[in-house]
Amino acid sequence: METSPPRSESSMAALVGHRFPGGTYRIEHWENFLFSEATGIDTPADGIAHPAHLFHVAINGVGTSITEIFDLVGSGDGSPVSIDYYDWQIHQPLREDVTYVLRGGITAFERSARDGSPIRDSFTYEIQIDDPSALRVADVAFRWHHWRPAEEATR
Amino acid sequence: MKVAVGEAIPPFRMERVTPERMRTVAAIFRDPTPIHWDRDVTRALGFDGRLLNQTPLNMAYVINMLMAWAGPTCVRRIRAAFPQPVLEGDSVTAHGEVAAVSVHDGGTLAVCDVWLERQDGVRNLVGRAWVALPADTD
Repeated sequence: METSPPRSESSMAALVGHRFPGGTYRIEHWENFLFSEATGIDTPADGIAHPAHLFHVAINGVGTSITEIFDLVGSGDGSPVSIDYYDWQIHQPLREDVTYVLRGGITAFERSARDGSPIRDSFTYEIQIDDPSALRVADVAFRWHHWRPAEEATR
Repeated sequence: MKVAVGEAIPPFRMERVTPERMRTVAAIFRDPTPIHWDRDVTRALGFDGRLLNQTPLNMAYVINMLMAWAGPTCVRRIRAAFPQPVLEGDSVTAHGEVAAVSVHDGGTLAVCDVWLERQDGVRNLVGRAWVALPADTD
């Protein structure tokens, strides 16, 4: 049986600086077509990829997954996760059939705990996306709240 | 393209949020989170068995509005928070308003307040977008 990793404040804070493996991602036409359709529009013309691909391109392209991130920060047991914000800076348009290079990691952590209330562990994740010539295409940041039972504050 | 502070951006409407679209996006994202496809889970969470839309999809509705307004490569930055979930069956509309206009590197940048509003007026997304405006052609 899998067990959740320790979720003490110090163990969570130690995750700041964690680097994801890094990797590449290429947006295929089919996924641009299906994703654009799911958002309610036609596929953008001239090979432009929908900017909202940035979410999954960042996470999957940097060599991790939502499941792995949840496991890493101790939410793999199904404990609730909510989103604080997404912040996407787009320096060049995303395009189909370009092999992007991605790097990134965990850059900040904050624990909020009030007596008797669930603990809120907030992690900031930052991922950089470059094109094959090392030109910066996008900077993707997101902050998620990972909620813990109140009794963990005493562990 | 000339805009003025306070100008409203033409809205984008998603008439009905559907589970089929959520499933497509879950597959593309490789996102196994069950709130997008398992009604037992969303029932247990107090959402009456209605599935929760992916937040990047909610972001996409706002981006669709911006792209229809200023072109497919106009979005330079978007930052958003998600105070309420969008649920299966909801009708949502993306809105925006120009908050500031500036000139950068010879181009014009509009800073816009953006939000996504449910049929009952609840805001599911609130944020800010930085939008490069197309040059005038006249």
